[in-house]
Amino acid sequence: MAFDSYTLRNQFPILQQTAYGYPLAYLDNAATTQKPLFVLDAIQDYYRSFNANVHRGAHFLSDRATNHFEQARERLAHFINAPKNSHVIWSKGATEAINMVAYGLEHLLQKDDEILITSLEHHANLVPWQQLAFRTGARLRVLPLTSNGEWENEYQKYFTDRTRIFAATQVSNAIGVSTPLKTMIAEAQKYHAFTLVDGAQAVAHYPVDVQDIDCDFYVFSGHKMYGPTGIGVLYGKSQALEVLIPYQTGGEMVRHVAYQATEFNLLPYRLEAGTPHIEGAIGLAAACEFLTQQDRPALLAWEQKLANHVYTRLIKEGGIELYSPEKNTTLVSLSVPNIHTIDLNAYLDSKGVAVRAGSHCAHPLMAQLGVSGTLRASFACYNTLEEADQFCDVLLEAIEILGDD
Amino acid sequence: MTDFPTPHTVKQQLQACRSKEETFKALVTLSKALPRLSGEEKTEDNKIKGCESAVWLIVEEDAGRRYFRADSDAKLMRGVLVAVISLVTGKTQQAIQEKDLKAELAELNLSSYLTSSRSNGVLAILQALQA
Repeated sequence: MAFDSYTLRNQFPILQQTAYGYPLAYLDNAATTQKPLFVLDAIQDYYRSFNANVHRGAHFLSDRATNHFEQARERLAHFINAPKNSHVIWSKGATEAINMVAYGLEHLLQKDDEILITSLEHHANLVPWQQLAFRTGARLRVLPLTSNGEWENEYQKYFTDRTRIFAATQVSNAIGVSTPLKTMIAEAQKYHAFTLVDGAQAVAHYPVDVQDIDCDFYVFSGHKMYGPTGIGVLYGKSQALEVLIPYQTGGEMVRHVAYQATEFNLLPYRLEAGTPHIEGAIGLAAACEFLTQQDRPALLAWEQKLANHVYTRLIKEGGIELYSPEKNTTLVSLSVPNIHTIDLNAYLDSKGVAVRAGSHCAHPLMAQLGVSGTLRASFACYNTLEEADQFCDVLLEAIEILGDD
Repeated sequence: MTDFPTPHTVKQQLQACRSKEETFKALVTLSKALPRLSGEEKTEDNKIKGCESAVWLIVEEDAGRRYFRADSDAKLMRGVLVAVISLVTGKTQQAIQEKDLKAELAELNLSSYLTSSRSNGVLAILQALQA
């Protein structure tokens, strides 16, 4: 096999430690991934060798910083197959990117227009749209998807002539299913709605081709794909980015400023007010390079194998509700009747297993599933079968102890 | 249902724990002593804000002394509630307010395993008890 997680793991220094005397099993990768040396070195190299502000003051270091910063944009554009570098706008993360669009499109929305999202959305792809609806008098509608990520009957009726925006996740953060993205985008396009895809949970695992998806906007965060925190991307088609009103203004995004009026700069700078997160952009570009150097189908197959291994072991035990699918997912989401996920989490933590318990920022989805929260173990390329088994073993132990009534 | 334990019993049970696993087991045992609240008693007003799990607390007063009934949807939290309530129930408001409950909980080994957000929840409970 071309890829070996045990070797790859050596590139992640943080994983070489114990927690409370137990091997640390970091299975909270859907929240944030750890960073390889390649990314850490790129960030340090920036500060040690060419830290300066970009696009300003022509001097030796500023030129180098600007070159690296724009090369980072180019690498990101290549990573998601954007047609031009100027289609890549830096943001703090997926959340800010969605807010940039929600504010930027506000001037085009009228009372009784409709914003359509799916029932699998993270709050990040829900609350900005709900608030936009409140501000404009538009209506927020929810396209119901089953917990398998499939259409409910009569889905077409949710797309109407009033649908102005359609926003959907590519992969559910809470239950790990993929949505029927391309069909949904095609349906939304029939009504000339703006389409936005939340790729936060997809980019670390699946190759992304924004031209193939054909959405107007695609957003993701760096920290969930082995990159630094505080950096993310808003990709947009030219005509979609052009209509966005900048939701932040200031330096860097202007061409000429007078007290009477300001002429904004061209894309991508028009949407990037202030000094950018240079270190973050360079670190994220390094993360893309790190991923590109790997055998990505093998990485995905491994992550899916780990999730499937856990699923298969736990389903045999009985008494455990599984919400993630058996196959084609990189996480396991579960609950145990009569045991609070917070208690399971506390027990797992005490034995070195890092997972996430709670609603996963998806309250409406939890209500749809009829639970207050789930326990989620999410896998990355550096996780091992031993860690998957450590999770199962400690979980079963926790159920035994906490299930004592 | 077992009888509501005295502070002495709680102390004995929790201080005997030599590992987190044993503390979890002790809390599960303690949790069984907590009389559960009825559905009608679990109101928003009775809910304590700031806990990761849902926690409800009802304060009753009789002849100048305070009695507490509480519930949670999480079992370990119910165990913690039994421990905390045993320290204060049946005392006057003034006596309760004079107590250093944080220190007493630390003595019971309870601060050690609580995650920071959960211990924030416990702090909110202590505040409600001493209000």
